[in-house]
Amino acid sequence: MPVRVVPLTRHHRPLLKGFQNQHASLVEYLQRYALRHAEKDLLARTFLAIDRTEGGERIAGYFTLATASVERRSVSAIEALDRLPQFPIPAVLLARLAVDDRAKGQGLFLFEEALGLTIELARTGPVALRLFVTDAIDGAAVRFYERFGLVRLADGYPCRMVLDLKPLAGG
Amino acid sequence: MARFQAQTNAVIEEELADLRGRLGLRANQRADLLREIASLASWVVRQAEAGRRIEARRGRDVEALRNPTLDRLRERRNAGVVGRIALSDSEVERLAAVLDRGFSPTPALRKALSRLAATKRKPPKLRWRDGAA
Repeated sequence: MPVRVVPLTRHHRPLLKGFQNQHASLVEYLQRYALRHAEKDLLARTFLAIDRTEGGERIAGYFTLATASVERRSVSAIEALDRLPQFPIPAVLLARLAVDDRAKGQGLFLFEEALGLTIELARTGPVALRLFVTDAIDGAAVRFYERFGLVRLADGYPCRMVLDLKPLAGG
Repeated sequence: MARFQAQTNAVIEEELADLRGRLGLRANQRADLLREIASLASWVVRQAEAGRRIEARRGRDVEALRNPTLDRLRERRNAGVVGRIALSDSEVERLAAVLDRGFSPTPALRKALSRLAATKRKPPKLRWRDGAA
């Protein structure tokens, strides 16, 4: 049976502890914070890719979306600023994207889901959005996002990457 | 391992004795020393968890506290669900270049957009490495 993507709710709690990923922080976020951020704090919403196997349902992957505003750290004069929209710039942050290490090959699908939800929101939502932002955790993640046109803003890790939503949202 | 641990313990004991002296505590005030250290460490960790950088300042002289564990705590916070993303000057320059570009989607983005536009989108069928079908 193909995977289905659904918003995380408390009903998924029993499935959370079975999730495995090489990055402990990605597992920890799902198991400790995602539900709280989604239901109690209303900071971010997490979407699960759920696969039904013979042993029952499993979380094959997840992604987390939050709103963010992009601001300047300094107040120094920068020539490029003339060409930028006014700060702060509204954005959607892909805060997490992870797949279970035992069921790879669905990262693309999850990323498309996250991007699709973002574009939909940018096109028809009640607020304006200009950027799709993510923090790539390592070199493999950077290469993955670069394939979709995301551009890295820094050289270290986690590496902040952005995609301009204007042409995608019909602006 | 035992030798390494013995050496490490010796170094720690020496550092604790040095700290005890500098804090004006006597040799039998080990509990007081640990209480002071715990109190200081707790404050430092709390700042890092809040995503703050700790700096010692005197006039223009600034020294940042650097520690890999604290960096991890700060990064965990900063890479988490944040409302504000503050860009450095160099990041602002790169962002300007991104927003200046015309629309020329990569082949992968073009494919993703076309799949997203399809009325019947096919989710992947997974094969689990641990044998679950």
